[in-house]
Amino acid sequence: MIKLLSNSAHVHVLLNHVPTVGFGLALALFVVGLLRRHDGLTRTALAIFFIVANIAIATYVSGNGAEAILQGRPDVSAAAVRAHEDAALFAFTFMEITGFFSWLALWQWRRVARLPAWNIPLVLTLSILTFALMANAANLGGEIRHEEIRSVPAASAADDATPGIAKSLGLFVSGESWVWPACEAIHFVGLCLLFSVVLIVDLRMLGMIKSVSFAAVFQLLPLGMLGFGLNLITGMMFFIGNPAQYIHNATFFWKILFVLLGGFNVLYFTMDDEPWRVGTGDEAPMTAKVAAASAMFIWAAVLFCGHMLPFLGNAF
Amino acid sequence: MDVLTALEQSGFSIWVRESGSLLAFPGILLLHTYGMAVLVGIVAVVDLRILGFAPALPFAPLEKFLPMLWVAFWVNAATGTMLLVADATTKLRNPDFFVKMACIALAVVAQRMIQRRVFGGPEAAAGPFPAQAKMLAVMSLVCWLGAILAGRLLAYVGPVSGL
Repeated sequence: MIKLLSNSAHVHVLLNHVPTVGFGLALALFVVGLLRRHDGLTRTALAIFFIVANIAIATYVSGNGAEAILQGRPDVSAAAVRAHEDAALFAFTFMEITGFFSWLALWQWRRVARLPAWNIPLVLTLSILTFALMANAANLGGEIRHEEIRSVPAASAADDATPGIAKSLGLFVSGESWVWPACEAIHFVGLCLLFSVVLIVDLRMLGMIKSVSFAAVFQLLPLGMLGFGLNLITGMMFFIGNPAQYIHNATFFWKILFVLLGGFNVLYFTMDDEPWRVGTGDEAPMTAKVAAASAMFIWAAVLFCGHMLPFLGNAF
Repeated sequence: MDVLTALEQSGFSIWVRESGSLLAFPGILLLHTYGMAVLVGIVAVVDLRILGFAPALPFAPLEKFLPMLWVAFWVNAATGTMLLVADATTKLRNPDFFVKMACIALAVVAQRMIQRRVFGGPEAAAGPFPAQAKMLAVMSLVCWLGAILAGRLLAYVGPVSGL
């Protein structure tokens, strides 16, 4: 299984339908939920947006691995790969923004009985736009290996050398001497914010400040999500700046896997009624305790893998 | 041979730099990073709460996290010293290292004052916090931010040995 998953091209083929199919399904649910004013459907759709945005991280990074495997093959057009990569980066960016606002909508659901008016139309607009961009990226991806659906003839070898948007951004990150250190410093600030929320929310669940209700610590979750957002942006800058040091790195594979698990974990604390019912002075139920302990393990593991990229893996 | 060179050439320093063991340089730096996450993480929540973020979160119970904050601080003082002696001649010639130490010194002063005046004051239970408490929170956030930034930049600016 691990051996199978260590082939990025294979992983990319496994994961590349999730952003389009999963997102399309969620979009349909979301529209029906809104039209029929069915909160359960709307919330389910928001949760799927968030999960798909989370899985899309793995889909995007495995794409660079697939690119490395296909590189130089005579039947693969570099121009087609570049067009797909640029479209995918654009769609991925919008998908992560949609995922963030979907999560925020789920979070706000708890805080107030009615959502602020702007959030749902924003998620609707973003999700439609993301779906269109992702469908385009997927279509361009299909054209790399499926000649039968190719709409444009393979570009001539002459223009193969011009870098696309993703590669240009990568050259900016690796070429400008200040960008990498600046991103690293922000990555550290982001991890502190993420850890602060993980510690306080999860140690409350494990019994440390029982006088505080879950609803009170719940307010901190956006701070953790902000930290995660900073780290996703700066982390993607590192990845795009030097994909080669990550795509063949088993430690990076584990890191992405733990980030995925972290996404499901935060969804439990955002949506499930069980932790929500933990009031002032209450002992948390066993499921919430297990989820809290898992969250601490997951984020400690993400930090461990990130730190060990050069030592266990082959980065830098 | 001066003191710094002697420190750098000690058996311990050589083990940290050159043994290749995951417990040496990678492990010590890992502990330093976990320490930072716990220390600055707790500091950030306390400071942001003083500045008005998450108003429904009771402030006084956050005091229970202060011992953990100081454990993390001393873990980092210890691991930081180990990383320093392993690279003493380079780090102690780097002005950025002293910027980091100054940030930490000021941040510790701010933390002590927050503990005495804000946690010990009447507002801890009821709020709202006076302007002086908010000033301390801003000072603390800025100093820790400066410490993280200067710490990270130790690998890039001034004399750098590659450690």
